[in-house]
Amino acid sequence: MNRSFVRSILLLLAVTAWAVFAVAQDDTTQPAPADTLQETAPVAEAPAPATNVRGEDTPGDEGGSITVFWDQSADDTGIDAEGITVIGYEIRRTIDADNVPFHSVGFAAPGSERFEDATTSDDSTYYYVVVTASRDGGRAESDVIGPVQSSPQWFNTNRTNVFIIGLIISAAILYFIASARKGKQLFIRRIAGLEAVHDAIGRATEMGRPILYIPGIQDMDDVQTVAGVTILGYVARTIAEYDTRIDVPTSRSIVMSTARETIKAAYISVGRPDAYSDDAVHYVTDEQFGYVAAVDGIMVRDKPATCFYMGAFFAESLIMAETGNSIGAIQIAGTAMPAQLPFFVAACDYTLIGEELFAASAYLSNEPKQLGSLKGQDVGKLVAMLAILAGVGLFTLAQLTGAETINNAAQWVQDQFLLN
Amino acid sequence: MNLRPSTILVLVVSAILFVLSANSYGFALTLAAFFTLGIFSFLYKDNPMYKFCEAVFVGISAGYWFVSLYYQNLLAKLIDPLVADPVGSGAIPYYVVAILGIMMLMRLVPSIGWISRWPLSVIVGATAGLWFITYLQSNAMLQLQNTIMPIQEYAADGSLNWYQSIGNLTVMIGTITGVIYFFFSKEHKGAFGTSAKVGIWFLMITFGASFGYTVMSRMSLLIGRMDFLFGDWLQLIL
Amino acid sequence: MRRQVPLIITFVVGSVLIIAAFIPHYPFGRLGENFSLYFDIIAVFAFILGGGNLIRIHGGKFTRGIKLSIAAAKKTGGFWPLTFLIEFPFLAFGGLEDKRGRDWFFSFITLAGFVAMLYVGLFKIGNPDGWGGNVTHPLSTFQQFYIYMFNPLQATMYALLAFFVASASYRAFRAKSPEATILLATAFIILLGRTPAGAYATGWMPESLSFLHVPNLANWIMAVPNLAGQRAILIGIALGVIAMSLRVILGVERTYLGSDRE
Repeated sequence: MNRSFVRSILLLLAVTAWAVFAVAQDDTTQPAPADTLQETAPVAEAPAPATNVRGEDTPGDEGGSITVFWDQSADDTGIDAEGITVIGYEIRRTIDADNVPFHSVGFAAPGSERFEDATTSDDSTYYYVVVTASRDGGRAESDVIGPVQSSPQWFNTNRTNVFIIGLIISAAILYFIASARKGKQLFIRRIAGLEAVHDAIGRATEMGRPILYIPGIQDMDDVQTVAGVTILGYVARTIAEYDTRIDVPTSRSIVMSTARETIKAAYISVGRPDAYSDDAVHYVTDEQFGYVAAVDGIMVRDKPATCFYMGAFFAESLIMAETGNSIGAIQIAGTAMPAQLPFFVAACDYTLIGEELFAASAYLSNEPKQLGSLKGQDVGKLVAMLAILAGVGLFTLAQLTGAETINNAAQWVQDQFLLN
Repeated sequence: MNLRPSTILVLVVSAILFVLSANSYGFALTLAAFFTLGIFSFLYKDNPMYKFCEAVFVGISAGYWFVSLYYQNLLAKLIDPLVADPVGSGAIPYYVVAILGIMMLMRLVPSIGWISRWPLSVIVGATAGLWFITYLQSNAMLQLQNTIMPIQEYAADGSLNWYQSIGNLTVMIGTITGVIYFFFSKEHKGAFGTSAKVGIWFLMITFGASFGYTVMSRMSLLIGRMDFLFGDWLQLIL
Repeated sequence: MRRQVPLIITFVVGSVLIIAAFIPHYPFGRLGENFSLYFDIIAVFAFILGGGNLIRIHGGKFTRGIKLSIAAAKKTGGFWPLTFLIEFPFLAFGGLEDKRGRDWFFSFITLAGFVAMLYVGLFKIGNPDGWGGNVTHPLSTFQQFYIYMFNPLQATMYALLAFFVASASYRAFRAKSPEATILLATAFIILLGRTPAGAYATGWMPESLSFLHVPNLANWIMAVPNLAGQRAILIGIALGVIAMSLRVILGVERTYLGSDRE
């Protein structure tokens, strides 16, 4: 036997003995809790802890939530950085910092400086600690903070700007309604689609054909349907005067009930309650295309002289409008569904675009107070235009001059429309 | 015998369908194909086959909706919560809603039909209130916030990006003139009228864009039906 | 009184919901969310009115049609049930002299479909899981009706749009107003931009004119003038909704409530 062979055997035996010993040693140790293991793990350098930890009740909520803030660990410099890599923050909480151990309530990504704990009870106080974790397993606890308590608020400060803007627009509308009521004359421009309503009804009367009115395919919980039904009220008044027949197929039961009330009131208001019949309004089906199939059938069989489409529409808009076109009806449409407007514009004689749909009932009513609200809307538009001009102008100027104050002013304008 | 063209059409179609369904592929598929062809026949003109399909569609879809409403709304949203907790304070709103629902039905009794206006005014009032806030936020404020931005944009090397900058300027002009078009209390005359005119052009471009964007998807719907007729049903294409 | 109470209800409910948007505190915080739930429940009750109306209308048409058809069959003399059977297609499918009785067979079909759907749905007919099963189990009769009747009808009705889009385009093409021309030209560019033909047709242009390549042009239209138009429309709609909501809440707009006099 040569020496090198003997030496190899000895080495092998030694290694085996060491391994057996090591395993036996390991077997005798109890399975360690995760925390202990990490502490005894090959010494990973602990990252710098998060500093300046604060906890406060989350503002503008219904309670049950505390937001914890901190300043990033000094080692939190991105995942590709040299040295220690911070992989995140663990937020731990307890109800008694001295006697009850902390437990984890969540994690925050590296780079973040806040965490919302939405699992609190308003009846307890809490203590928090933010643990910075590094990739190598190093951990560093921040100072314990507390006690903190969550509570519900009576005003959502995040929506202060919504409140103020809503208030400004509402005030303008109310002001003009009030001043119109006092008798101040207001100018309202002609809206061609609505000027055509009387002629369209007159045409049906002359031809002895019915009028078809579609109040959209949504239910009364859609404001467009509410608009469609109110417009129906004014259209029905003219129809009652002219003694023309109106047909209102509906795709929702509540819309059917409401449309009946509306038409009935119109007939009563012109002193012809006897001419009204519930049959003018009938339910078809809630199903979008089933409804259209039936409306198309009504169109080709009854050949209405005039078709109104006022409310919320989806893909069926064009099916109805094109069928109406094929029977030579005068068609007046109105919707606030941006995706359906092109089809109504292409296939109908007149289309009320978005805002005009909501203005239509006021316009048709011709009551001063209703018209006043239209003038109030215009104030809203003016505010919008001025805000755009001011904001864009200031931002542009700030970029050209590099002036910080101008940029801040522009930012301020934009922040007024920020949604939290 | 008064055999009209409509009668003959019905008989012929029935005969064809009988032959086709006897020719395997299943009765149900043939039924589906019959409904497909029946609806398409409306493009030619109103006819008994379309009327039949329309009648079936209206009947079964109304039934389908009611069954869905019954299970998904009445049982799941009203009965189940009430059965789980019939006397707790959480149950009060459900009783109120149930009473409102029953009030809705008072329409059936003419003498007290006016009661049905109460749930109706709850619905309309709530709709008005909710949409007021939603539209103020998501339509008005969000759009304004997005429109407020600097006009000029710079490329990475610090030079002015003309293409983007002109785009930003156009967006601002388009938004403002578009809003001008909607003004109600001022006559569209003079400079104001010109702005409104420019505004309506922007609106028309918007309409054209979504029109063009939709055409292809509508064509694919048709292709889908053709696939069904010639593939699933007749098995001519695989 | 009959109108006063509803007006007060509208005012209170509407203004509370607006104010509740700013109050996170219980019970206001979730009022808005809960409303859609409550509305869904009320809608089921209301369906009894709608479904009842459907049964009344089609039931009326059906019985009237049957009566008129039998009368017509009797008029021809002989054994009238036989005449009725022989002439059934004529009598049922719109052949009757009296317009009120026409198409009664289709009313019958609507009724039958409605009742059949309620029956198989509410009693879970043919459901492999029985009473405890989900109503939309794929093998239940209810869902089979959906797959082989409801679905093809719905999909085909939707597919009609392919033809109507074409005819609407043609109409816009013939309108010859400047607005219609703008609409159509834009639609054409966007359509081309979404198909390979567009890229092919303008691909020969030099790099310096790359913004005129149809796909680029289409993208520009979508991102710039289209965006501007969308924003103007959305801002307008918001103001329209706000004003309309206020009119409704304040009772300035009250046509939907019906009349004071019955």
